[in-house]
Amino acid sequence: MSPAAAGAASSGEAPPSRPKRELYTIPASSSWFRWDDIHETERSALPEFFGGPGGNSYGTASRNPRIYREYRDYIINKYREDPARRLTFTEVRKALVGDATLLRKLFGFLDSSGLINFSATSPRPVAQQPGLDAVLEAPVGLQVTPRPQVSYSVEERFGGGTGENVFRLPPLSSYVDVFGEWAPGKGPICAFCGVECKDGKVETLEDGFKVCSTCCKTNSDNEEANKCAGDKKESADNHASSAWTDAETLLLLEGVLKHGDDWDLITQHVRTKNKLECIARLIQLPFGEHMLGAINGKSDSRFQTSQTTDGKTNHYIVKDTSSQSNEMVDGMQIDGEQDGADKLVEEQPSKRQRLSSSIDVTGSLMEQLALLTTATSLDVVAAAAAASIKALGSENPQAKNAFHLSEKEYQGKTFSSNHIHESECNVGDQEGEMHGQTVPDKKLQKKYISTAYQVRAAVGTAVGVAAARAKMLVDQEEREIELLLASIIETQLRKIQYKIKHFEELELIMDQEYNTIQQIKESLINEWLKVLEQAFQAGVPIQRDEVLTKLFLNKSTP
Amino acid sequence: KFRMPTRDNLVPIRVDVEVDGQRYRDAFTWNPRDPDSEIISFAKRTAKDLKLPASFVPQMLQSIQGQLAEFRSYEGQEMQIKEKIMPLKIDLRVNNTLVRDQFLWDIGNLDSDPEEFARTLCDDLNITDPEVGPAIAVSIREQLYEIASQSVSAMREAKVSKKRRAPEFASNSKAMNNAVDMFKYFGSKGSVIRKRKEWYLYAPVVDVVPNEEVVVVDTTE
Repeated sequence: MSPAAAGAASSGEAPPSRPKRELYTIPASSSWFRWDDIHETERSALPEFFGGPGGNSYGTASRNPRIYREYRDYIINKYREDPARRLTFTEVRKALVGDATLLRKLFGFLDSSGLINFSATSPRPVAQQPGLDAVLEAPVGLQVTPRPQVSYSVEERFGGGTGENVFRLPPLSSYVDVFGEWAPGKGPICAFCGVECKDGKVETLEDGFKVCSTCCKTNSDNEEANKCAGDKKESADNHASSAWTDAETLLLLEGVLKHGDDWDLITQHVRTKNKLECIARLIQLPFGEHMLGAINGKSDSRFQTSQTTDGKTNHYIVKDTSSQSNEMVDGMQIDGEQDGADKLVEEQPSKRQRLSSSIDVTGSLMEQLALLTTATSLDVVAAAAAASIKALGSENPQAKNAFHLSEKEYQGKTFSSNHIHESECNVGDQEGEMHGQTVPDKKLQKKYISTAYQVRAAVGTAVGVAAARAKMLVDQEEREIELLLASIIETQLRKIQYKIKHFEELELIMDQEYNTIQQIKESLINEWLKVLEQAFQAGVPIQRDEVLTKLFLNKSTP
Repeated sequence: KFRMPTRDNLVPIRVDVEVDGQRYRDAFTWNPRDPDSEIISFAKRTAKDLKLPASFVPQMLQSIQGQLAEFRSYEGQEMQIKEKIMPLKIDLRVNNTLVRDQFLWDIGNLDSDPEEFARTLCDDLNITDPEVGPAIAVSIREQLYEIASQSVSAMREAKVSKKRRAPEFASNSKAMNNAVDMFKYFGSKGSVIRKRKEWYLYAPVVDVVPNEEVVVVDTTE
């Protein structure tokens, strides 16, 4: 394996007798390389061989330039035998005599400076873990695959979890995909399998969800899933083997609450998912880590209810938008809103009345909104609307146009119901305009877009309002609990006080009685003495009386 | 001065505790500079994670503390640090994977990194089980620890016997005699490229054992 036979591009002219001359393309960054010489780069990167630290303090028998060149040349030639294949350290290591660590360093240098493996096509292993010590359960690390693998341990320190960190709102069942790409004409999406249902394959379950007929058949006995009003299909990249339905998520959350850290029990609770999937799922849920923290004994509010600070909140729509019947909106169901509300409720692991009880699923979006707004105060709705106007406006200038917002309005927001009316009027006007005109593409586009925003508005506001209501309920209950507790404590205290008083009185009485008894005793003895005296004087013989002597004796002891 | 001849001065610990028919076997690396309170919380945590009864904890503690104490007893003493290339062997089974390997290690190279070596090995051989790498690293450390402690006792012997000879001559231990003959390879007439027919000696072998055999081996161990 002499260097000359390899025929590198940088070598000189080959004598004509040579049978074959191979050309290699090497990266420009390593063009300094020469077979016959050792370059400065090499000397500085691997000082051990050239008398640097590690070279001096040793008997340099094993570390000198000649040895270095042997190693280097061997490795490079080995690689060039098959440039398309990635050369691994383990392969060359068996053929080289020398310290493994030093060889590894040399190999790494050649690799990183482009002298080997520069045209290797096989994938490089990704994400080398920094430390494998002390924790036996070091995770595998991210693998470059379309679907990120579930990590092996929740206690990972190196962040090797699934790749999806953004919690996207899951595609709502049977609606037109307004949120993502605007693609008009799509059919409804099945709630179970998430694929678009072709015409005629749609069946509606009792809760008003659309399911493609194949899924319906297979899941007809899955009562729980059907009855669970918040059934949704999640985005495809958030699970390892199958979708996490709402039922399963609910079970997972219950399990976590009940069993805390004990993943085996939780897995038993959620029968359809194994331990790793449960752990991964919990992490993915936006409050998952809060839950783990809460279980470990930290304080209350696990669930951040944000009224208006979501990026998702949008405008409040005019009530009579039923007039804007585009084909787009037809497909839309209240499910979106329903799901929103239910999801909020579901994720509160406390036993609260479900908000859904007051919401009729089959009604229209506007009716829903109306219901919700009656449930909360007008101010809340106004706040939600205002914030959404702002958010949307900042999101997209077109939204501004769609809602006729002037700069002044946009900046000078106040939370008043007047404002709602204003926006209402504006929207109404806008719509009036649009309806009246013939529809060139541009206007149609605008219409679609404004509809999109308005639709988003509905959902967003609903979400915000529901959140507000929920928070109110929470506060109320907390206060009630506090009150009750306080009263209980008070009554207990009073009870104890009475008892103490009672006992004190008893003691007093006892003392008094004791005193009287003593006095009676004394008078008795005096009388007896008198009797004895008289008996002596009269000369009457007196029998010894046991009882009375005892009395005398007793007197001396107390 | 005595230390592990690796970049991080970490101690290999091996634990084998049996209580009421349940057996806990483990091997890991420990930083001797960690406070002792860490050992207790580690033992408790491990027992909890593996669902072992609390009676395991004191025995685990004892085992770990004993090994650490032994390590610390070496710490003040003199150790010879010079270049010496020794062959190290790996022959272990981790869950379903069997690994056998032999390679050369310079015990005087204080920059050496068993963890990186193990990582490279697993990556190059596409070993997917994440427990194999740490097991290999611990095995390497154990061998290095053994060599280091032998070097310490050799030094002590030399001092005691007052012979003042360089310890390498005085040492009779088997391990030291295995060291690579430097001149043969690194001398002016030798070559560091090993002959092809000897490659098999230093090439790693990885086997994946099917589950039934694993169960059998586990019960016989």
